[in-house]
Amino acid sequence: MDDLSLERIEISGPTLASLIQRASSSPSDVDGLIFGQIHRIISSNLSDDSPADSLASSSSSDQIVATFTSFICSGKTVSFFDPLGRVDSRRIDSLRVGSPDRLLGWFSARRKTANRPSMRELAVSSSLSSQFHLPIEDSQNPKSTNMASCVFFLLTTPSADQCIHTHEYRSYQFRSTKQRFEPRSVGIVNIGPAFRGHYGSFSPKSGFPPLLCELNSSAMSVDRDEGSLSGKKQAVKDQKEIDALAEGFQVGNLKRLVGAEAANYTGGIEQMYERMLAKIEGLVSDVEKSSARVFEQDKHNRKLRNRIARIER
Amino acid sequence: MAFEGFPPLIADQLHYLLNHSPDSIKIENVWSGNKFNPKILDRFTLVIPYCLETIKWDVIYNSEYTMAPPDFIFGPNDEDFTPCSSITVGTDDSQISSLDKALFEWDNQDSTRLLVLIQGLRDQYVAYQRRRVGQVDDDRVKFEISTVVTRKGIEMQMTSGVDKPEEVKFAVPLVMDLSINKMVVGCPWKHQQKIYLQVVYPILRKYETAPSAPRLRLVSSSDLKALFSVEDVKLPPWIAGMCLAEYLPHLEETLERQILEAVSAIDLRRNFIEALTLFLGRPLEADATFCRKATFLASSGQFTFMVHFFLSTLFPKHQPALVLQSCQHLNQLSVPVKSNILTEYPWSPRWEMGRMAEQLCDFLTNEAVNFKKYCNEALLQH
Repeated sequence: MDDLSLERIEISGPTLASLIQRASSSPSDVDGLIFGQIHRIISSNLSDDSPADSLASSSSSDQIVATFTSFICSGKTVSFFDPLGRVDSRRIDSLRVGSPDRLLGWFSARRKTANRPSMRELAVSSSLSSQFHLPIEDSQNPKSTNMASCVFFLLTTPSADQCIHTHEYRSYQFRSTKQRFEPRSVGIVNIGPAFRGHYGSFSPKSGFPPLLCELNSSAMSVDRDEGSLSGKKQAVKDQKEIDALAEGFQVGNLKRLVGAEAANYTGGIEQMYERMLAKIEGLVSDVEKSSARVFEQDKHNRKLRNRIARIER
Repeated sequence: MAFEGFPPLIADQLHYLLNHSPDSIKIENVWSGNKFNPKILDRFTLVIPYCLETIKWDVIYNSEYTMAPPDFIFGPNDEDFTPCSSITVGTDDSQISSLDKALFEWDNQDSTRLLVLIQGLRDQYVAYQRRRVGQVDDDRVKFEISTVVTRKGIEMQMTSGVDKPEEVKFAVPLVMDLSINKMVVGCPWKHQQKIYLQVVYPILRKYETAPSAPRLRLVSSSDLKALFSVEDVKLPPWIAGMCLAEYLPHLEETLERQILEAVSAIDLRRNFIEALTLFLGRPLEADATFCRKATFLASSGQFTFMVHFFLSTLFPKHQPALVLQSCQHLNQLSVPVKSNILTEYPWSPRWEMGRMAEQLCDFLTNEAVNFKKYCNEALLQH
């Protein structure tokens, strides 16, 4: 695996915003994992877009760009590594909870500190990039090579309280051959005509939950699923949930939406939607209640931690 | 410095560090990274002496998770300093393992751990700077390193800036065998007193042919001034083509002799103060360790005043400086009226102690009249 140089690190505006929000709402310093993709981009000089887009088209050689698509925040520091900075892959697995996204690197958010990497951050990046890799996606050359999970994103706040300037962020690539960080520019990608160029190579992959809702009508499929009992159970459960939502309105009935019957049937459909809405509202209040309980538990944990640290309030 | 703002266990570690470190480490800045309780401090800047200058390291604890060991942010010019051994590949040494051990087996109840960490890091820093200096492409510096490599405790530093020429600095501890602390009776010093020679080599530029002489300077720990001032030492000249290994033995010999003289000078000063008591009575106050200061009460008729004696380390070659202070006159700000520093009076270093004291008291008798007049005038002015 070569130690290739990244051209830049791209992040969507909402992802960056939510990362900043997560960092600023946490009581103290936090760290977490970054997911995303790495692309090889062969930029051409042909552009039918506005001339303002010249940045992307000026260079002719191929570039490697990392795209930061999502993150998981651990809510504390020293979460998936030990105090020496050695990454523990089991703790990474428990933190990412089966997220199918590829691990691009990690981030550290610390309050009122200098905006350069610390001793431990360097050690963590070194350990992480020696253990985790992800493929470089290349549309021209599908036989892809791997690249280390070498991205490090650092969020800090200035040491003196300021009203306007409240956050700073920097991104780095850890180079394993030199064993050091190299700063990389951060490109913020938003939706809009000015950003059209950025999407040329990007294959959108949403993190939709893997719902196995295949209809268990044929005996063949039952045979196929025999291997994993828990998978089958999950599929049945998912199917039940979906059926419950569309109670009494099987796909077959949809044909009644056209033709003479339709006028009578719309009322029924509306009813179904109302029931669905009521269910969603119920779900919202459940989420709210459970968040409140999570918050209470969090507060209690902090209290216990402070008691251990002998901090009186 | 107050540590009330720190969680108690961190405060303990900090106290231990400041009180037990062999180098006089200082804390420059303390602050909090906590959103909800900004009164709980959990980060600070340490100012650590290195190579006769200081380095600043930010120590970052997490007040929400005080059990975890701190993280460190080093200076902006030291981005290649990577002391965690998981990344320093191929270096041996027991220091690394002690640092790793301190981090890995971190115990926040043990107040000594922060000191162990800082010392481990500082040792690594010494090795790091030495590596940097070793990489400098300069024949003289390479040669100097090879000749002084056996001397213990040498610290090196590479300095370069945008507008400054590149330089290599050495801090060479001198007369290590001489324990100055033990030579002083009733020694008040917490830290071992040391004298260093600072050697600054300008790095040869391409167009220069012969290396210029290094800049030399003696530096001592600040407390040593009470006994011995390195500024009074005349450095032997650096002859062209000389190297440090040739220069040091001669310098150390001179220094050793002068330190012994300085220690025996304490007794001379003590004898002098004792001689003064025959004329002025017991001193009100006197520096019993180094005998650099003594204050006596004197009178001239009704007029009572204090005499402060300041004795230099070069006594008796340099005569004592006197300041008279009235016990009866206060100025506008309710501060006792004082004379200027008096150094002009009959004196010979060749006199015996008794004669010195006698001559001085004669001078005081005359000067008391002048001083009384001066005090009265000072009062009349307002």
